[in-house]
Amino acid sequence: MNPTLDPNPLAPYLPLAIALLLAGVLSLIIVKLAAALGPKRPSSIKSAPFEAGSESSGPARQRFAVKFYVVALLFIVFDVEAVFLYPWAVNFQALGWFGYVEMLVFAATLVVGLIYIWKKGALEWEH
Amino acid sequence: MNLPNLTSADFLPLLPAIILVVGACILLLSEVFLSAHSSRGYQAVLSTATSVIAGAVSLTLLTEPARAVFLGFGAMDPFSSFLTFTVCVSLALASLTAAGFLRKRGAERGEFYALMLFAGAGMSLLGLSNELITLFVNVEVLSIATYALTSYLRRGTRPSEAGFKYFILGAFSSAVLLYGSALLYGATGTTLLSDMSGPLRAAMANNNGALVYAGAVLVAAGFSFKVAAVPFHMWTPDVYEGAPTPVTALMSAGVKAAAFVALVRVFISVGSGIDAQLPFAIFSTLALLTMVAGNLLAIPQRNVKRMLAYSSIAHAGYLLLGVAALFVSAPGQEFKLLGPTALIGASPEDVARVDALRGILYYLLAYTFTAVGAFGVVSLLERREDEEKGTAWDLERFSGLAQRRPGWAFAMAAFMLSLAGIPPTIGFIGKLILFRAAVDAGLVGLTIIAVLSSAAGAYYYLRVVVYMYMRPVPEGAHTLERSWMTELALVVSTVAVVLLGILPGPLTEWIAQAGTLFTR
Repeated sequence: MNPTLDPNPLAPYLPLAIALLLAGVLSLIIVKLAAALGPKRPSSIKSAPFEAGSESSGPARQRFAVKFYVVALLFIVFDVEAVFLYPWAVNFQALGWFGYVEMLVFAATLVVGLIYIWKKGALEWEH
Repeated sequence: MNLPNLTSADFLPLLPAIILVVGACILLLSEVFLSAHSSRGYQAVLSTATSVIAGAVSLTLLTEPARAVFLGFGAMDPFSSFLTFTVCVSLALASLTAAGFLRKRGAERGEFYALMLFAGAGMSLLGLSNELITLFVNVEVLSIATYALTSYLRRGTRPSEAGFKYFILGAFSSAVLLYGSALLYGATGTTLLSDMSGPLRAAMANNNGALVYAGAVLVAAGFSFKVAAVPFHMWTPDVYEGAPTPVTALMSAGVKAAAFVALVRVFISVGSGIDAQLPFAIFSTLALLTMVAGNLLAIPQRNVKRMLAYSSIAHAGYLLLGVAALFVSAPGQEFKLLGPTALIGASPEDVARVDALRGILYYLLAYTFTAVGAFGVVSLLERREDEEKGTAWDLERFSGLAQRRPGWAFAMAAFMLSLAGIPPTIGFIGKLILFRAAVDAGLVGLTIIAVLSSAAGAYYYLRVVVYMYMRPVPEGAHTLERSWMTELALVVSTVAVVLLGILPGPLTEWIAQAGTLFTR
């Protein structure tokens, strides 16, 4: 790494900042314009919170079965595994045997986890 | 594409951590495949054996020369090998303690030991980390396993409260640490600690000093949470009290040791880039506050587990005194840490600096034996039924212990004397080495305060001894269940505390090597 830094390292990001600012201002203008110009005929059905097209029933803050969280956690673990597999697959030739063995170790660790959750019953929906 | 050229020499320092992870995986698999129709007694044995093997391997690594591994992302040096040894000692003793503790509650599970070993692997790797992102990932590996362990006994409000508090504050402190690392990266353009000193000097010269100072202070604050330094100690008593006692033992010994080693590594690199005044100011202030507040807050505690929590804060204060002694230097003088071979003919400050490093390592190991042993006695005395009432750890529990279980009482007395720093115990030698290094470095005022506050500490440590030996057995005291594994942990800790207090020679020689730190 070069120890002498650009005196203003943020300079290359200026176009990005301008684009962000424009996007923000533009969307604000569009929303405000629509609100100012559009006709308003509210009814009770129209102003109800939109809930997948069906009528809303009860408050949103209720207790969920813990199994939803377990599934979400397991999904993330194996999803991240896939994320790590992609760059390895792209560089498969260059990484060679070393990368292959590394990836096997990585996958084997996850297989241990998979066997564990399987035998533990975390994949059973109905207990 | 340029491929890193990694050899087996790169993987050598990972060996203890690999052993711990393999042990943890075996425990997880055996838990789900064996346990339906067999007892779980083997789990504590397996966990202890894994820790002992990893500890033995880390001792053989102590003679390896200091060098960079994994392109500078890790530093293989006796310093980190000694930390791994300390961590493995605390893991082995905590596993043995957990055997009796979990059996009494019918809560033996492979996951408990697996999580301890995963946390241990994180601690070992944290000691090796010489790069900010690697460091952060390993802080998280050890923290997340410890959060889960804290609320392992999830029935009852105390473990949930402890786990929740620890998780929220731990995540917050990790974020502070990460923010500080980001600022340091922003100022220097590198995350490699060994490459940092040049860019840091350039940043200071280019008027980017504010960024560097803010980053260093935030990183110090993040670590202060992890080592429970005042004023970042608020979570400690509640978490230590609510966590299962063997986990508390592991937190007070292993987690703290790993965090201290990482803190020293980061600030030696940062200090060599900017002058050492800033780290010195931070750590001497923290040391002063932590020593005094930890000891004063421990005095009114009648709950022994909580008293030990405040005591661990006080001991973090003594260690911070050692850290402050590392950074004593004249203004404008270039800060550097010499290897032991370069010490001949070196200035007294340089010698004192290496002595302080050795003192920190000695103290960490001394505290590990003592604190894990003391928590072991606490775990033998407590009962599940009294936890919600909060009477499980009352001083009354220790009344007349010398008549009922003379062995336990003797062990606890040895641990209390060691924590108070009274000879002939390892705690005395630890304090002697650490305080002498601080005096040699010129921190006379702070050392006087350290000695005075540790004298105040003797009051609450000796009170436990008074209860055990001079009070009658209370009426209707419940029977004390024995557990040979927990008692084995007590025997090992007591022998270490007393023997190394009388014959510190061999350990001092190991540590003389372990004061070597890879810096560039």
